[in-house]
Amino acid sequence: MLKLDRRSFLATTAGLSFLSVLPRVAFANGHADTLRVAISGETGDLDLLQNVSTLSSYSAVFDALIHYGPGGTLEPGLATAWTVAEDGLSISFDLREGVSFSDGTPFDATAAEWNLKRWMGVADFSWIGIADAYESIVIDAPNKITLKLKRPVPAALLELTIVRPVRFLSPSAAAGQPIGTGPWIVESYSSTETVLVRNDAYWGEKPTFARLELKVVPDELARANALRAGELDVIGGDWVAALSPRRAQALASEGMTIVAEPGTATTILGFSPNSPMMQDKAVRDAIFLGIDRTAVATVLFEGFADPTVDIFPATVPTAGSRTPVPARDIAAAQAALTAGGWAGDASGWTKDGATLEIAFLVSEESFPGSRRIAEMIQGMLMEVGVKTNIETVDNATMHDRRPKFDYDLTFFGTYGAPYDPHGSLGASFVTASDTGPDGKIYVHPDLDVLVATALETGGDAREGAMQAVYDWLRDNTAACPLVVTQRLWAVHPRVAGFTLPATDYDLPFKGITLG
Amino acid sequence: MQRMFMRRVGLALLLMLAATALTFWLVTAAPGNVAALIAERAAGAGADGEMIAKIADDLGLNDPLPLRYARWLGDALTGDFGISLRTGKPMAEEFGERIPMTLALLTGGGVLALVLSLAMGIAGAASNGGGIDRVLHGMALVGASTPNFFVAAMLVIVFSVWLGWVPTFGVSGLTSWLLPWITIALFPASVLARVVRVNLQDTMSRPFATTGFAKGLTRGAVLLREALPNIAIPYMTTFGAQFTLMIIGAIVVERVFGLNGVGAFFIEAIRFRDFIGMQATLTLFVVFFVSINLIVDLLAMLADPRLRRPRKA
Repeated sequence: MLKLDRRSFLATTAGLSFLSVLPRVAFANGHADTLRVAISGETGDLDLLQNVSTLSSYSAVFDALIHYGPGGTLEPGLATAWTVAEDGLSISFDLREGVSFSDGTPFDATAAEWNLKRWMGVADFSWIGIADAYESIVIDAPNKITLKLKRPVPAALLELTIVRPVRFLSPSAAAGQPIGTGPWIVESYSSTETVLVRNDAYWGEKPTFARLELKVVPDELARANALRAGELDVIGGDWVAALSPRRAQALASEGMTIVAEPGTATTILGFSPNSPMMQDKAVRDAIFLGIDRTAVATVLFEGFADPTVDIFPATVPTAGSRTPVPARDIAAAQAALTAGGWAGDASGWTKDGATLEIAFLVSEESFPGSRRIAEMIQGMLMEVGVKTNIETVDNATMHDRRPKFDYDLTFFGTYGAPYDPHGSLGASFVTASDTGPDGKIYVHPDLDVLVATALETGGDAREGAMQAVYDWLRDNTAACPLVVTQRLWAVHPRVAGFTLPATDYDLPFKGITLG
Repeated sequence: MQRMFMRRVGLALLLMLAATALTFWLVTAAPGNVAALIAERAAGAGADGEMIAKIADDLGLNDPLPLRYARWLGDALTGDFGISLRTGKPMAEEFGERIPMTLALLTGGGVLALVLSLAMGIAGAASNGGGIDRVLHGMALVGASTPNFFVAAMLVIVFSVWLGWVPTFGVSGLTSWLLPWITIALFPASVLARVVRVNLQDTMSRPFATTGFAKGLTRGAVLLREALPNIAIPYMTTFGAQFTLMIIGAIVVERVFGLNGVGAFFIEAIRFRDFIGMQATLTLFVVFFVSINLIVDLLAMLADPRLRRPRKA
């Protein structure tokens, strides 16, 4: 029998008390001038032409001609002004004067031309409208260029705000050297961290702190613990180091600042256009009406999501008019099935001898948290009488089956700013587009025509053409938008002035001061 | 002895060959298309069917599986494991960066498991049914039944978040290794402690131990001088098996503690369908597994003459 006498007890207690008051190892100290941001994967060498490096790190080092502002406003970047010709076949840019790359190479029309020619007119980048329509570049003056196009590209200016390949690299940079004109210079990068130092010659507003360390922490719990311990200052961002709503709630209760802002990407339930069951509009209507989006947003996203029935949120440009989110209506869902020739009730439905039973393809790897959402939807639809069978698969299987429309129901997401609405519309709603493993949300010959018209229409008519697409999608219940997840970050108390950048593809550092 | 040694080495090489063939087949049988991934990496959304078909043709992905395996094996034997689809770097370079991290984790964890298991096992045997023995028995059971991701989370909460003694992730000096080493060592230490305890108990009932007591030796002296050397073979073989299994623990531990080792790379390779990275890493695991077992076998043969005798029908 283990004996613990009074002396041993007192000695143990005294020992533990002594240990607990030992000074905390000051991991958070000595970094007064350094912002430490978690990233879930290594940044890589930030090659602008390769699809390898982490998207979110480019904006710290490289500038674009035009920067994406809040709500899709266009802000001057390396171009101070631009003019689109009336026929849409040329765009002139006034380049910012007195700007140099961090290696001292001047940024001028020659450097701009060198950069643009690396991807414009190149087959690998034909997915970018402006690259596909490229005809030539004319240097009008040392700080003025004109881009000539074979056909108008209404989204051209928005396309110039994306992450890669549109940003500007020093023409003198050796291979693998990420040298831009941005606010930060890469000091070193490895598989564990990327260290950036302030570019004191930056043309814009300079950061208030000297170093930015991007720490690779792949595990979400480890990131949260590091924030709690003061080893990280900022975690979050879907494309940086995602923070789950549940974890955010926990961190909020522990004194961390949670920053949540309306998102730019919509989570959508996609109906397979090849599935006989899903080709029946009555079934699509029943699913659309049978889901309680508010419950999904409140329960599964802990309130960090906004219910929606629109394809794009209002945070992206030309997102169309807003449709009120209908309350869940089981009776209306059942009435839709009855009107569509189905017979049955909450216990099940049949039509022409077929039972209403739906295959719901889910991959936690592709879309973290989707299993829980699917289970909630399964329960809601069961009350309507629609039986759903959740099939959980790995990422590879999802990527294999989604392009083949080998499912009845599955989850999709729109790309978000700065790629939308033209990006998602041109890829996920067009029969002829090649989206590789991502698949498509819905395709139909009538929709092809509408989307093509919308993407080719510029000027004042563009909004109406876009609205026609949204109206068609809504009238045909072609997709089932669920929620717009909020942009979620957690910030250590020593960080002040935290402001979210315009897109999830940018790192937050502007306006931040460190305590 | 030499013939037996050569035979063991030959068997180990055959085993490696069979294991790499099996993993090659499994990886190629997994859903997904390597050519599509390479095209996607090179051209993003611009990857089309023609480009994918050309890449598949260039890489010989349409060739019969045995031919592809033979080609892969030939390259692998020269140290060319291909280029990671995720990072774009040659796998040899990835391994060069990551193997030292994993080795440091496994070595530290192995040493800790060795020390802890011997200390716990001997202390338990010395107590022989007393309070310490029962407490250590309970600790070993808990240690062997607790998943390492849970152990890691608890250790981080207590020692990093609450007490702030060690960092939560990354490598920044010796202290940053403490929690990863404890996490990865806990399971093998618990299993090995029971091996030591049970074998010591068995050995202590043998006639030579009784003789030791009859000579007037203390229980501790009999344990350390007479019984302990006699459990070397079962301990060594179990330790070898547990040490190789630590590579599986490394997959979780490296991710949780943000260590850029081979285990963390493997997880990311699976997530990103980096087939080339997966195959190369699995091959490394196979080589590690078979080599450690071979070394343990050879050491056991050196230590115990009975194992060197040729088997008779």
